[in-house]
Formats: sequence, C-alpha cells, structure tokens
Amino acid sequence: MIEHVLHHLNGIEVFGIISVCLFFGFFTAMLLWASRLKKTYLNSMQELPLDSGEKNSNQDSHE
Amino acid sequence: MSLAASQNISAVASSPARSVQAETFKYDNAIVRAFAIATVVWGLVGMTAGLLCAVQLFFPGANLDFQFITFGRLRPLHTNAVIFAFVGNGMFMGIYYSLQRLCKARMFSDFVSWFHFWGWQAIIVSAALTLPLGLTTSKEYAELEWPIKIAITVVWVAFTINLIGTILRRREKHMYVAIWFYIATALTVAVLHLTNSMVIPAGWFKSYSMYAGVQDALVQWWYGHNAVAFFLTTPYLGMMYYFLPKAANRPVFSYRLSIIHFWALIFVYIWAGPHHLLYTALPDWAQSLGMVFSLMLIAPSWGGMLNGLLTLRGAWDKVRQDPMLKFMVVAITAYGMATLEGPTLAIKSVNSLSHYTDWTIAHVHTGALGWNGFLTFSVLYWIFPRLYNTRLYSIKLANYHFWIALLGMMFYVVPMYVAGVTEGLMWKQFTADGFLQYPNFLETVVQIVPMYKLRAIGGTLYIAGVWLMVYNLYRTAKSGVFVKETEAQAVPFRREHAPVERGPHWIHRWLEAKPLTFTVLSVLAILIGGMVEIIPMYLVKENVPTISSVKPYTPLELLGRDIYIREGCVGCHSQMVRPFRSETERYGEYSKAGEFVYDHPFLWGSKRTGPDLHREGGKYPDAWHYNHLENPRSTSPGSIMPNYPWLLSQKLDTTSLPARIQALRKIGVPYPDGFENGPAQKDLQEQSEKIVANLKTGSITANDNREIIAVIAYLQRLGTDIKAAPPVATPPATVQPTAELDSHGQDARATTTAAK
Repeated sequence: MIEHVLHHLNGIEVFGIISVCLFFGFFTAMLLWASRLKKTYLNSMQELPLDSGEKNSNQDSHE
Repeated sequence: MSLAASQNISAVASSPARSVQAETFKYDNAIVRAFAIATVVWGLVGMTAGLLCAVQLFFPGANLDFQFITFGRLRPLHTNAVIFAFVGNGMFMGIYYSLQRLCKARMFSDFVSWFHFWGWQAIIVSAALTLPLGLTTSKEYAELEWPIKIAITVVWVAFTINLIGTILRRREKHMYVAIWFYIATALTVAVLHLTNSMVIPAGWFKSYSMYAGVQDALVQWWYGHNAVAFFLTTPYLGMMYYFLPKAANRPVFSYRLSIIHFWALIFVYIWAGPHHLLYTALPDWAQSLGMVFSLMLIAPSWGGMLNGLLTLRGAWDKVRQDPMLKFMVVAITAYGMATLEGPTLAIKSVNSLSHYTDWTIAHVHTGALGWNGFLTFSVLYWIFPRLYNTRLYSIKLANYHFWIALLGMMFYVVPMYVAGVTEGLMWKQFTADGFLQYPNFLETVVQIVPMYKLRAIGGTLYIAGVWLMVYNLYRTAKSGVFVKETEAQAVPFRREHAPVERGPHWIHRWLEAKPLTFTVLSVLAILIGGMVEIIPMYLVKENVPTISSVKPYTPLELLGRDIYIREGCVGCHSQMVRPFRSETERYGEYSKAGEFVYDHPFLWGSKRTGPDLHREGGKYPDAWHYNHLENPRSTSPGSIMPNYPWLLSQKLDTTSLPARIQALRKIGVPYPDGFENGPAQKDLQEQSEKIVANLKTGSITANDNREIIAVIAYLQRLGTDIKAAPPVATPPATVQPTAELDSHGQDARATTTAAK
C-alpha cells in the first residue's frame, strides 16, 4: 500500500525523508537544549507556583 | 514555601526591576467559583446519563420505550457532558485560578471571562437538548450540529484571547510549564475542531461531513485521539504541575523533565490517531505510523507521571493525611496506567483482540474516572476552602469520597476488562472442525451481561462519592465567606528592565519570555504530525480503490441512513468487517475502502455491543427487520437492544430530501442534476411500496410512509454493492486479509479469495 501511495503523490519521497529528519532533529535539539539549562534557572522556575503574590492569608499553605 | 526558596524567587523576580514599584492588583475568584460550580453540576448530569446508559445495557426497558433517553441518543449525551461539560468546566476552573497566580495578573478581561463562561454553558445546554432529539453528526465527541459547532468556535476564540491576553499582561517574566500546556490546549483544540467540523449543511440541524469513508474516518480519529490528548490530558497536566506543588508545598521534582515532557508530548501525540483504525480499510502505512508513534508516547507520558509522583518524595506522610493529595496520587497513577495501556492497545496484534470490545471502554474509563475525575475532585477540594477563606468542612467525608470513588472505579473497570477479553476471545473462537464456536453473536452478549451489571454498581458508587463531595463543598462554602477578589502584589515585568542574558540557556529563557513566539512554535510542533498524516489522504484520490458497482444511496436508503444516524445505531454496531477469518466467517467479505466513497459521514463505529452490520443487506427478510426493530427479543431472545416502536408510528419526513440530495451533490455524490425535483420522490415511493409488499408476505401490514420502511431499505442495502460487483478495479484492495490460521492450519485468505 505504501508503494501505491508513494507512487501517486509527486515528491512524496522527499515528504517522508523530511518527516524523519524533522522528527529526529526536533528531539535531538530538545534534549540537548534541556540538558544545558542552568540549575539556578531551573530552580527559580520550579518555585513559581509556590509564590502567588497574594497579600494575605493561608492561600499558599495547605491545611 | 521554604525561606530559601522564597528568597530565591524574590531575587529572580525583583533584581532586574529594582527601580519599579510593586503593584497591587486583584485576582478574580468569581469566575473560578462559577466554573467550579458548573463542573460539579455538569459532572453529576454527565455521570447520571452514563449510569442510565449502563443500566440499559442489561435492562433495555429502562428507556421506558421513550426515544429521547434511549441508549443510542443518550450515549453521546453522556460522553459530551462528561468530556466538554465536566472536564471542560474543570479545566477552565483550574486555568482561571492558576493562570492569574502564575502570571501575577488578573484575567485579561472580565467581560470576556463571563462571555466564555455563559457561552460555554449555553453550548452545553444546547447539546443536552439536541442530542436526545437525535440531532447529531454521529462523529464521536464531535456530534453537535453545525450551528453549535460555530458557537463553540466563537467561545473558544474568546477563551484563547483571554488566555493569551492575560499572558501578555503578566507581571511575572517567565512562563511556568503549566502555562505552556494551557497554550497548547487552546491552539490545538482550535485546529482540531475546525478541521473535523468541515460539513455541508442540509438544513438548520442537519449536515453531512465533507469527507467521505476512509478520509472521514482518518480525520475523525485524528480529531478524536487528539481531543483526548489536548482536551482531557494537556490542560490537566498543566493543572497537575500547578496544584500538586501547591498541595505538597514543594516544587515539582524536575523542571527539566517537565520541559521534555511538554515538547515530546505535544509533538508525538498528534501522530498517533490512526491507532483507532487498525485492521480497518485505512491504508496500512497510516496504521503503522499510528502504532509506532503510539508506542513512543509511553516515554513522555511516563516521564510526566514520574515527575508528578516523585514530587511527593519525602512527603508521603502528607498523602496519608490529606485527601486532596490522595486524589492527586491516584489521578497521576491512573494517567500512568492509561498511557501505558493506550500504546499497548495500539499494537496491532493486541488491537485485533481488543478493538470493538469493552476493553476499550475499560481503558477510557481508567482515564476518565481516574485521571480526569480524581484530579478534578482534588482541585475542587483545594479551591473551595480558599475561595471561601475557610477550611474544608470535613476531611473525614473527603476520605470517604476517596475510598468510595476508588471502589467505584474498580467495580467499573475490572468487569469491563473481563468483558472485553471474553468478547474478543469468543468472537475468534473456532471449533476443532473449523467452524465458529459461537456463530450466534448473541451468545457472546449474554455471556457478559453480568459484567454490565457490576459496571453499573461501580458507576453508582462513583456517583455516590460525588454527592458526598457536593455536600462537603456546600458545607465548606456555608462555613466561610466568599472572597470575590484576592488582593495580590507583584513587581511588574518590564522588558526594558529585563534584558535577556546570553548563555547556554538563553534560547529557552528568550522563548518562554515571548509567548507569541512560543505559541507559534507549539502550533508548528502539532501541525507537523498532523500534516504528515492528513496531507497524503487529502491529495491522493487513488488512495481509495474505486469499485465500479458502488453507487450512491437511493433516496429512501439515504433517509433511512439519516435515521440510523439519528438513533445512534453506530454506538453499538460497527460497519467494518476486518480482514480476519473469524470476521469473514461471521459477517462475510471483509470491508474495502472503495465501498465507503459515498458515506458522508463514515459509520464504521468503534464498539460492537451488537454485531457488525456492514454485510447486513440481504441476510434477513424485510419482515425480520420489522419485527426485530419493533421488539428485538421477538426475533433474538436475550437481546439487549432497545425497542424502536416509534419507527413504526412516526411518518417519514420527505420534505428535507431535496436539500439533502443537493448538499450531498455539492460534496461529490453523483446524483444527477434535477434528481431531487421529482425523480427522487418517485424512486422513494417505488422502493417503499416494494418493501411494503415484501412485508405482506411476512404477514405484516405496514404503511409505506413510516420511518421503519426507510431504515429497512438502508439495512438491506448495506454491503450489497460489492456482491453484485465485477472484479474490483485497479488498484487492488487496500488491505490484505491477515493470515489467521484456523484449527486445520489453513490460511484465512483462502476464504476471502474464494469469496471474490
């Protein structure tokens, strides 16, 4: 079936190759990028939900 | 929050902006409360509709022969209410609460917030009215007719404007990962909804999908799968990343992992849709693509689950004491289980057993009851005391709710697993002589009826738990005072005060500080997978082998098909004979893609509570269908199909026929010009009279203008075109029958080849 589809769509060979390249390129770039993030930055980011800026109250702590 | 962490945040937030004074502003709690109340109310409605559906599956008389609450019409009401009303409102509750606090800004516009709220409730009410009336497109989770689809688009745009507007006006420079999940939700749902809603109207509440057969199936399940991903999963993951750290009072286990979780999930999810159509007439390449990407989904899903559970490391004592955390832990575990099971079911060999069975029902309810339900309860227990500035009325009652809900979920899913595997095995069982062990489909239904009863007990327990929660939340509200607005302070984020640093991490900081760029990249990530799947299907007409003998439905059959859609028959009957010997033996020749070229919409179905109907035409006399529809147990003792007495009494509406023919012609069905002005009515009358004459031979006197005549015409047409066919024109059939060896070691292909 795949041969049939490929046969009838002009340039489909490039389409498949582009898809694979995009896929692996995307993941390689993402993993490299994530692995190089600074620890201090990550620490500050993960604290964000714990500070809601609310002036008063028990809202940031759970009973 | 720890002092050290607090100082850290303070330094990050204020150092670039020391010269700017902190601003005081107010969070809008009223909109959060409105969505919270709507979540509870619609949750009860949706779950009760589900329970009534469940009861009808072992006691069909529970519909009281009342067409508006019969299973086929009630099931889409249940699914829509639970997905879009319960989870939808739950999602908006969580987003409106957390987004304001993460952005340190009030929502962009109070007017848009309330427009969004009332617009969404109006859509839900219109769904609750139209679905029981049988006004449906029949496409799962996209059943609502075109005027409501337009309303959904408008309200969703309002929500997106409010979301993006709030992000743009934020005082916190960085966008926490929960906000990324919210952005992906808003944009992807918009893309999915628009793509799958391409219909041609044939009246105010009737339309036909612009796609036909295979294309329609692919687009529908690309939508259906990703609706699960981006409506039921991503917004709730965002809520998990916000509310879990809040409840545990500690940061998420790994922010780095959350970044990988987000990008990997949104990129991979979109490719996996075709796993809903394995072994159907969908081209093999699309099926394989769906299977491979489904398996890859385990990685990001489990990354997210572990990130959630590990957030609680060292804090499990809190889980023992805090029911909110108990609900959260079970929700995350259910997410992990469902996201492991989903890819497992997407493996073709597993799918050949599980598809069309109650195994799928068990799977989706692990997600719906466990992941969405428990997480919603958790957030409600968190939010209500804070909205009313008080403490939860009763921790004990919340604990009771937890255990009852957990027990209810077990009573639901375990019987459904047993039922699913039982059905799958019985459908495929051959005797030593090579005949089907259970040739009568009804035998396989009767076998699992006890499981259906247990499932209803599970559902009842789950709903009982929700009522406990309603009481608990009500008493909580009564014991406090509603805080309409919460005052907050933050140093405003000004770009000129916060130059982007250069360094190995600058790309990410630049990216998540620019919401619009981030948004565009997120959309690109989801579009790539969508394009890879969809574009070849759009472009390649030859993808669907033509079969010269396949003709458009006659006017009477067309109206019969529309009644079949109205009654939701597709909820229990598939129209897709898979290329297995067990199916070709039971039903006949396997289904070919070319047989569905005039099917707007496709009606392949996703569940076989009753048998497949694709080769139903000509199997039984007209009189059998008449008696069967009037009272299924008169022809099939033990059947759990509802009676359809109204089909015998209601007059067939032929006034809409011209509009329907014209609409179908516009999307490529080759009805001759002018056919609708006279010839169609004549054709309809002649065919009706023939059926009435046939019924007379079965001692049935029927009126030729009743709805049942059209339904019989449609059922008798199903799958018959190919029987009169000359050899299938080139190219050959889309799928080859799978080699499934019988007890004598013979290849199933022998059967199908002989049938040709």
